[in-house]
Amino acid sequence: MSIRYVPVGWSRTKLVYDAVLAAAVVAYLLIYMRLGPALQPAIIPPDGGALGMRAFGSCAFLLLSFVLCIGPLARLDRRFLPLLYNRRHFGVITCAVAAGHAWHVLGWYFAFSATPPFEGMLGADTSFGQLRGFPFIPFGIGALAIMLALAVTSHDFWLAFLTPPVWKRLHMAIYAAYGLAVLHLAMGALQSSTNPLLAMVVAASVAGVCGLHLLARSVAAAPPPGDWIDAGPASAIADGRGITLPLGGGMAAAVFRDGERLSAISAHCAHQNGPLGEGRVIDGCITCPWHGFQYRLTDGCAPAPFTERLATYNLRLSDGRVWLDRRANPPGTPVAPLELP
Amino acid sequence: MAHAIILAAQVYGGVGGLVAAWFLLWRIERVDPMARGAYAFRPLLIPGLVLLWPLVLWRGLARPAEGREFRAAHARIWVGLSIVLPLLVLGSLALRQNGPIEAPPVRLSAP
Repeated sequence: MSIRYVPVGWSRTKLVYDAVLAAAVVAYLLIYMRLGPALQPAIIPPDGGALGMRAFGSCAFLLLSFVLCIGPLARLDRRFLPLLYNRRHFGVITCAVAAGHAWHVLGWYFAFSATPPFEGMLGADTSFGQLRGFPFIPFGIGALAIMLALAVTSHDFWLAFLTPPVWKRLHMAIYAAYGLAVLHLAMGALQSSTNPLLAMVVAASVAGVCGLHLLARSVAAAPPPGDWIDAGPASAIADGRGITLPLGGGMAAAVFRDGERLSAISAHCAHQNGPLGEGRVIDGCITCPWHGFQYRLTDGCAPAPFTERLATYNLRLSDGRVWLDRRANPPGTPVAPLELP
Repeated sequence: MAHAIILAAQVYGGVGGLVAAWFLLWRIERVDPMARGAYAFRPLLIPGLVLLWPLVLWRGLARPAEGREFRAAHARIWVGLSIVLPLLVLGSLALRQNGPIEAPPVRLSAP
């Protein structure tokens, strides 16, 4: 497709999404700054600098927890898919809030010193030989470094340049960032806080994130053995929409319905591996939900003048159920649509 | 030690800046046709190029087969994290000493 990169691929929906998210972040920070002192009964009340640090830090952790829940939520319920399509913007905002936390820490603990702030932060606590009181700052630095690396490689260019498999592997480092953030909290704020609220929030976050991933894993259908796979009743596929069938080995096929005709092609968009099975049939073509790349139902080819081609699959109907042959045809192979009675 | 780490990061970033300039001015349009004639997005790439410049230079990476997805890897990772993360939180709570940590303020007498 002959499209050029733009700085940010905003659509009206994405602008609304980003505006709501930014407003929610600002509201959280303001409310925390206002109510924070009441939530943290301390003998010495926290001042503005400490409150800002905690507001940004807690907000970043909650955002990171939520962004990790989007994937399993979308797999469990299609209504969460719109959250999935803009997850990269969510991640960048999370990184910005985490950087705000670090900025407050540098300005609060390491300013007004002859030692440069970054050096001070790295060298402030080196008591690595003890478990109780183990330095927690390095965990936070590690989490932020990973989030920064992922944020600066979130543009579509990086997905194409690194190739989707490498880019996805790189971005799976977000799990390490979450682990480090939990460690940062567990060895830091959780150790010094006398308020059970923070421990409850961290425990709920870990339980929620891990639980949702385990739940999504348990309901994911494993591909059955044999060349022909049962795709379910034809009536279960909505007109103009598709379903995704895992084929094993990381591959998947998408079965689409266009009126009374069914067709199946690879579920991975040739552009950037977008989830075609979650797309729609528009103007007789399957349209990728990520960037709008289109493919004909009958042969998996992008309409002229574009040249992308996807593998097609053979379908058959038996007792009202659709069966798909997992053996893919070469990309661009025409396959007559399966006519429903 | 902290000084050495900062210095190493500065050297790494300096080299990354040179690689970023070379890549954005001379290389990017050969690597990706969608970058041809597109200039507004290029400054956004600078932090990533500075951070990942060894990966940018190592551009001869073989393209893996199209269509791989990593849900299987995601699932395996989360099985492991679901064991490790709760243990971390519970372990940290076990380590926690009884508060309050902050000592009450004490009025110092004049010397």
